[in-house]
Amino acid sequence: MPKRLPVDPSVLLILAGCVIIVAVGGIFIGNFFTSAYLLQQLQIASFLGILAAGAMLVILLGHIDLSFPWTLTGSAIIVTTIGGATSSWLQDLAIPLGLAFGLLIGLINGVVVAKLRIPSMVWTLAVNSMLLGIAIYYQGEHRPQGQAPELVKTLAVGSTFGVPNAFLTWVAVSAAVLWLIRGTRFGRLLFAIGNNEKAVFLAGARPERTIILAFALAGLLAGFVGILLAGYANQAYQGMGNPYLMPTIAAVVIGGTSILGGRGNYAGTFAGALFVTLLLSALSVIQISEATRQIIFGVLILAMLILDGLRRRDA
Amino acid sequence: MPVVELTAVSKAYGGVPALADVDFRFESGRIHAVLGENGAGKSTLMKLLAGVVRPTAGTMAIDGRPVSFSSPRQAKAERIVCMFQELSLVPDLTATENIVLAPSDGRFGFVRRRSRGRAAEMLARVGGERIRLDLPIRHLSLADKQLVEIAKALYCQPQLLILDEATSALTADQVERVFAVLRELRADGVGILFISHRLHEVDTIADTVSVFRNGRHVDTFPAGTRSRDEVVALMVGQRLTEFYPAREGPPPDKDAPPILAVDHLAWEPEIRDVTLSLRPGEILGVAGLDGQGQQHVLQALFGLFKGVRGSMKVDGRELPQSPHLAKRPWPGLALVPEDRKTEGLILPMSIEDNLGLAALDRQGSFLGGTSQEEARAREALNAFDLVYRSMEQPVGSLSGGNQQKVAIAKWLAIAPRVLLLMDPTRGIDVRTKAQIYRVLRRLAAGGMAIILQSTDHEEMVHLCDRVCVFYRGSVNATLEGDSLTSERLVAACLNLVEGATA
Repeated sequence: MPKRLPVDPSVLLILAGCVIIVAVGGIFIGNFFTSAYLLQQLQIASFLGILAAGAMLVILLGHIDLSFPWTLTGSAIIVTTIGGATSSWLQDLAIPLGLAFGLLIGLINGVVVAKLRIPSMVWTLAVNSMLLGIAIYYQGEHRPQGQAPELVKTLAVGSTFGVPNAFLTWVAVSAAVLWLIRGTRFGRLLFAIGNNEKAVFLAGARPERTIILAFALAGLLAGFVGILLAGYANQAYQGMGNPYLMPTIAAVVIGGTSILGGRGNYAGTFAGALFVTLLLSALSVIQISEATRQIIFGVLILAMLILDGLRRRDA
Repeated sequence: MPVVELTAVSKAYGGVPALADVDFRFESGRIHAVLGENGAGKSTLMKLLAGVVRPTAGTMAIDGRPVSFSSPRQAKAERIVCMFQELSLVPDLTATENIVLAPSDGRFGFVRRRSRGRAAEMLARVGGERIRLDLPIRHLSLADKQLVEIAKALYCQPQLLILDEATSALTADQVERVFAVLRELRADGVGILFISHRLHEVDTIADTVSVFRNGRHVDTFPAGTRSRDEVVALMVGQRLTEFYPAREGPPPDKDAPPILAVDHLAWEPEIRDVTLSLRPGEILGVAGLDGQGQQHVLQALFGLFKGVRGSMKVDGRELPQSPHLAKRPWPGLALVPEDRKTEGLILPMSIEDNLGLAALDRQGSFLGGTSQEEARAREALNAFDLVYRSMEQPVGSLSGGNQQKVAIAKWLAIAPRVLLLMDPTRGIDVRTKAQIYRVLRRLAAGGMAIILQSTDHEEMVHLCDRVCVFYRGSVNATLEGDSLTSERLVAACLNLVEGATA
């Protein structure tokens, strides 16, 4: 058996795809080669990448979380509303409360899926829809008022030695997620449950705790991205999470994580987020319509699923 | 008079032979019983006839006309109808709907009024007139379900009717009623293949008896021409015994206090009333026909069931009711489940990951298992002589026997005090079996208490210190010492010996 490569070959393939987009874009469209453009892409990719990291934890289990678009919107609304408050102690609470909201939604998802055994796809879709309803009920069609705290703005739009802070944040989150997946008992259980939950239970482990923790982390990360996006735009708006739904899942499955769970590597998800971001950017530069963009993402995800199905059959 | 004839038929599942070179013939107008131990090939024979599986080799003919069924539908076209051991009723449909489900005489899926009447008629014929026709099947008792199942088979107007353990849940009266129907069918020229473990039923109703053993057709003779002892001897046969290792060290101390004590355990309907005990260093066998509750007792011990009555104690303390707590240093239980592919192992994952699975969630720590546990798992693998290329290799790429070694070794990593094994040698080659036996012997010699549930009677006779035989959810005999022989064991499984506690 050959020694394991430090990086999965499919990850190199995705990175090659990134290079091709940049090269083709640079030759035919121009300004793709500038460092300003590339750094901006890294910054934008960070939001998608952190969402994909959370989504991957859940997908590894063989579940899926479709509630993150409105979870992140909820966190963003909380953080801007409270961040724009007049009293300063309330302003200090903005970030913790925003994160707590994401964590809470994740916990609820996890408990319901693990204990009540409701299919995660249906449950999280319902939660997404309920959160949408609640937001509109309380705010009508108005744009939420307020502004993001300074710290959040620094994280989302600032840069350190020329590198966007958002990207550094993504790298930090990635390091933590990588450690969780590769270095902890939780990570090993993620893969084990995704492959065969029954065997895990019969080995005397507690799958419920792992499932709840994975959903909770996914919710927390969605809340975190909501806060960052609020800082990026210095505002929250309804539906701000919606454009992330398909790209996030696409990033995870393009990265080689099996949608049925049990197989995947984080480097792939990281590269997948970069690839999807560059593809989105290239598509918008050549002014492809939103409709075509949606079709392209649908086709991409389908193609990855078919590939995954073929790989499974070979195994 | 239609005659069904099998010539040189073999069937293997993934390389494991279930039927080997079988010549078999049965005629209409007769009741033909098929006997054999678990794994003798009876069910496979029946599945071939019913078109559920196709033979690997050999030919099948009806009245000399070769047939080849690729689906149950084609068998049904020849009016060969099966009543399976595992009930094949749809739980949420009513009795009527289940009975008329099989033949396609409805129009566009509607059940005709005439069909309803005939369904009720069939049910009444087998003594099920009190069964409510409009109630979903899942509300019925097991015996009533069995009657519905028989009525369903009759509804298809079989020319050849195959019954696999069709009467296992019925009372003596109900059996008599069903037998009367079978005799009527015989008089009408229907051929009946009757598979049963109940020798007295076979004596009552069969015209011809065939015995199968290890996938081979051993003998066929007119009913009543052999004694029960002769029949049991045919089922058991002569087997090689040298590959069973001898005990290492002295036998377990009979006066030692038990490590495990089960008292009036009940989890109805599977477990009715079970009392047994286990001493350190002892290998206790639990035997029985399929589904007599012997497997459920192991699962109950490991905390898989809720609402268990009676007591289960280790060191005099009541066992916790969850697998997570059961594997803690106290009580130190480990369960090797029945199906290694779906329950015991995670096939796509590596040998290393699978070995670590039992140790994984043992400590409160967030990180993985300790190096001590890892060392123990590797040591166990060495004891088993596991053949592997790399620890990174997926377990699914190992042979069945090697997979089972990993499934057992993962538990040895946490050094359990009581090891519960569910049919660990099923479908495993002889060489690997011998290796597993050696390891079990050595573990017992080291003081581990072992419960071995098995369908292989020979292995229990040679490996176990004592064997508890289960029948209908209770222990009906405990065999040890000189009374622990294959013949006695098979007889006890068939409940031929009353109160044979030796």
